[in-house]
Amino acid sequence: MTGSSSGQSAMGRPSEGRCPDGRSALARFGENLRRAPRELRDSMLRSGSPATDRSRSAFVFSSLFLHVHSVRVHRWSLRWSTTMGLGIAAAAAFLVTLITGVLLMFYYKPYPDVAYLSMKDIHFVVPTGRFIRNIHRWAGNVMVVLVLLHMARVFYTAAYRRPREFNWVIGMLLLVVTLGLSFTGYLLPWDQLAYWAITIGANIAQSPRELTDALGITHLFDLGGIQKLLLLGSDQVGEESLIRFYLLHVMILPLALVVLLSVHMWRVRKDGGLTRPADADLRLPPITPATYPVFTEAPQRTYHLAAVVKGRTPAVGNGPENCVPAMPHLFYAEAAVFMMTVLACLALALLRDAPLKELANPAVPENPAKAPWYFLGLQELVSYSAFMGGMGIPLVVILGLLLIPYLDREIAGTGEWFGGPGGRRVVARSAFFGLGSVILLEAFAIRFGWIRQWWPESPQLLITLINPGTVLTLLYAIFSLWAIRRFDSVRAGAMALFTCFLAGFVVLTVIGVHFRGPNWDFFWSPSDWPGH
Amino acid sequence: MHSRANKILLLVSSLAALALLGSAAVRENWLQEWKRIQRSYAKALPPESRRDFRVQLRQIVVPRLRVSDRCVSCHVGMAPGEQGISGDRVLSKHPNVHHDPADIGCTVCHGGQGRATESAAAHGDVSFWPEPMIPAGQAYAGCGTCHTHLAVPSMARLEQGRALFERSDCLSCHRLDGRGGTMRTGAAGGMEGPDLSRAGAVGFDEKWYGKHVSRSGEPAAAVWRGAVRSLSQDDQQALDIFLSSRVGAPGLIEAKALFHSLGCRCCHKVGGIGGDDGPDLTRVGQLDPGRLVFDHVPGERTVQNYLAEHFRAPGKVVPGSLMPSMGLSETQIEALNLYMFSLRRSELPEAFWPKDRIRAERFGAREFASDGATLYGAFCAACHGADGRGMRYAGMPPFPAIGGRDFLSIASDSFLAVTIRSGRPGRRMPAWGSPGGPFSESEIDGIVRHIRGLGEGTPFAGDSGPRRWIVADAIRGESLYKANCSLCHGPGGEGGEGPALNNQVFLSSASDLYLLETIRGGRGGTSMTGFASGTNVSSALAPSEIEQLVAFIRTWEVKQ
Repeated sequence: MTGSSSGQSAMGRPSEGRCPDGRSALARFGENLRRAPRELRDSMLRSGSPATDRSRSAFVFSSLFLHVHSVRVHRWSLRWSTTMGLGIAAAAAFLVTLITGVLLMFYYKPYPDVAYLSMKDIHFVVPTGRFIRNIHRWAGNVMVVLVLLHMARVFYTAAYRRPREFNWVIGMLLLVVTLGLSFTGYLLPWDQLAYWAITIGANIAQSPRELTDALGITHLFDLGGIQKLLLLGSDQVGEESLIRFYLLHVMILPLALVVLLSVHMWRVRKDGGLTRPADADLRLPPITPATYPVFTEAPQRTYHLAAVVKGRTPAVGNGPENCVPAMPHLFYAEAAVFMMTVLACLALALLRDAPLKELANPAVPENPAKAPWYFLGLQELVSYSAFMGGMGIPLVVILGLLLIPYLDREIAGTGEWFGGPGGRRVVARSAFFGLGSVILLEAFAIRFGWIRQWWPESPQLLITLINPGTVLTLLYAIFSLWAIRRFDSVRAGAMALFTCFLAGFVVLTVIGVHFRGPNWDFFWSPSDWPGH
Repeated sequence: MHSRANKILLLVSSLAALALLGSAAVRENWLQEWKRIQRSYAKALPPESRRDFRVQLRQIVVPRLRVSDRCVSCHVGMAPGEQGISGDRVLSKHPNVHHDPADIGCTVCHGGQGRATESAAAHGDVSFWPEPMIPAGQAYAGCGTCHTHLAVPSMARLEQGRALFERSDCLSCHRLDGRGGTMRTGAAGGMEGPDLSRAGAVGFDEKWYGKHVSRSGEPAAAVWRGAVRSLSQDDQQALDIFLSSRVGAPGLIEAKALFHSLGCRCCHKVGGIGGDDGPDLTRVGQLDPGRLVFDHVPGERTVQNYLAEHFRAPGKVVPGSLMPSMGLSETQIEALNLYMFSLRRSELPEAFWPKDRIRAERFGAREFASDGATLYGAFCAACHGADGRGMRYAGMPPFPAIGGRDFLSIASDSFLAVTIRSGRPGRRMPAWGSPGGPFSESEIDGIVRHIRGLGEGTPFAGDSGPRRWIVADAIRGESLYKANCSLCHGPGGEGGEGPALNNQVFLSSASDLYLLETIRGGRGGTSMTGFASGTNVSSALAPSEIEQLVAFIRTWEVKQ
């Protein structure tokens, strides 16, 4: 009959015990009924409204959803220029995609032909169907972009260094899962765009055959065939592939993403929060009334003993001087980032419809058949050598990225943008070199062709080893080794290589998206394509 | 660290997001095209019906046809149970046709994108919809989705029947395609004959003429007196053919008859029967405009424009096309377009197959009438000319004349039949008879008879001798051939300006007399002059020399 919890109340509600004033039970009942709405609200906030240090702290750590955050946040971490909110924005894009995806699941039917008709129904008939589908498509693309930008931010601020190496690895896994989500979702509309893009992707998965055929060992070890069969569930894209991709897209990969994301954010906590430069405290402006509320009393960090803290974690040994309560500072920042991401997705959804071409027709290939945009740089390399573009170079890139935290063991410049020996200079030079080499190499190959145009009898193995992709990789590797020597720093070499990789990725993707037309020939503009 | 700034950012972006959501809601609920149209429909309804009318999505769903047609969300007047607003282009009731839209939906006949709810998308006038609506005014082409009208004659025969129908004053008692019917309605003195608009589909009494005559002879039937003229047997047949063509699709059968008069099937297959030189036209009505090349087609990128321009100048629209410019008039092109659009042949569940399609596809019933004149018009006229004078198209070797007196007097019926049956393997003339070809022996005989009657008709002069009797010096013949014949017939007899002489079917069916007479007398009206009399470039050939030529030609014949 009483409305309070067992004794504890941070708010100072009048504790209800027995009623000594002798009111009747019915009167008490009426009184409680009248007070029920306010009691409901108060019971939802177990620690009461966050108005004191203690209640602000309790607001965070006693909430299931919020306690993944730390109670106190360093002021440096809250600056826009530190992270630009990219990680939160990527998570926000994921959340938007998740919610709109679940809504779409009410109407989408994952069998060939019926899938396409259900997409038409969603677009034309289902209330808000067109809008929700557009949001879903755009949020997915926005998520991929944000994840890539987030990776670049983490790299350039050297936030992968000890003890955060494994979080970087988890981040790479998250990147792969994100690309996997986008790729599996691409097939679901079952239109010409979807069908042929996934056919391209599956054939790229089959690309090890180029190597095993050239070596003559395909009948012994057909890695390409195995990969393609695993991916498609059949020899070609069909009913099996659709079910498989649907399962991956709505269940397996989202679960994997949520689990990995939880580990990722937990590790940020355990690593002591976001990376800061060693002199971050000195560089922060003094606390002004505008930065209130702040902690007014020295904390009793009793919860700190829940973790064994090793020596180098930045939080150890520092006082709380530059830490502010997560509630409200961090949460307002996160909410702002979240809302702006949502706004961007909504705006894009209203401006441009998600594409839907004709019903998938295995007898009529798209020409050009293009993979999703984030794979078009890869497809451009595949057009020179299937194995190198499809497996070789991507593996090298992923391996290189994974190894960065283990190769760069320096400490200078952690937490700074372009921190470390070389700094902005090496990044600028690498950007120049990276752009220049990829543009020149592509221009050469487009204008003059490559080995087979000059010597038609040349063996495939030669082209597999020497093609614009491998040449570019070699150039970038040489350049980064030069940077290591020149600046006497592994970090400088890492920055050189990463910047070159970014430049190459962007240029190759732009070429694949815009400048390649039917038969993968070069055209200055889609309006030049024959027959269009 | 700007908590205040973040709060403002949060507020602004939230308000903006709300505004966007609001605009999306408004767009969805009030600005939707079909809702606006339905509201205007409600306004135009009489007050007592307006109360019961609700603005809601309407569709015709036929699961077995996989049809969910939402056309009736805008075309509300055509929805089952609605009354329609007469005179309005969008809201009127569906015109009176035999099939009820509620049974089969709209897109089966009209094409377009039934699942769409916006007009441009629904009409299929958007990218990535491969089957736009059939153009306005050609709606009867939609019949071809399910139907395959059988035994359609040539244009001349059909028009003969139509002319007789009009001249015999049938329209005074019978309605046909919205015209005619008696002005005297009611019981006393007035009597209307049945509406003949669908006589071909529902069937009619084949003894109708006899019954009409006997009724007109009855003394009591005043209205019948003078109602029936006397008609010859041939006239009656023409009228029967005309009535069989009335299926409630005015213009469509005429278009098909035109197709059967221009010899298009000479090069194009329709429904599995025809030549191989051109593409199969069985589903040409379902061409996807997104896959056609409109580089040389002026105007809008529609299938209609493409086909019309193709009829006018095929080589311009399809570079490298073998099809010559046929010299068609604009009305002919419009009629042919109608027929082209009717060539749709959608996949249908068997329960929906009409009888004519079952007969055509299961039992091999002919889409074209099997009389010699129609067969010649449908399959031969494009190459050999409607009058048998042959055709010469720009950039191609000429097609032989087969109606001339010189040719027919020396070509026996069996020679003609073998030529039609086996064709000229390796050359443009396909084999039309079995094995491999579609025609039966009686059909081939019909064509032969028609050819015989071309012009004023030329009987075969007869040949009493054996097929091969010439014995002469082939080596001398070779040098004569080189001097006189190789220019037109090719150094190895492979043909050029003139027909191929080394063709095995030709050599095994032609008699020596045929060859002799052709060389001797030539063929009037063609480039083949008679070599018995000299020309201004060569002297006359003696009979022995002509025999030597024949002997040389015979060396190409391979003994079976």
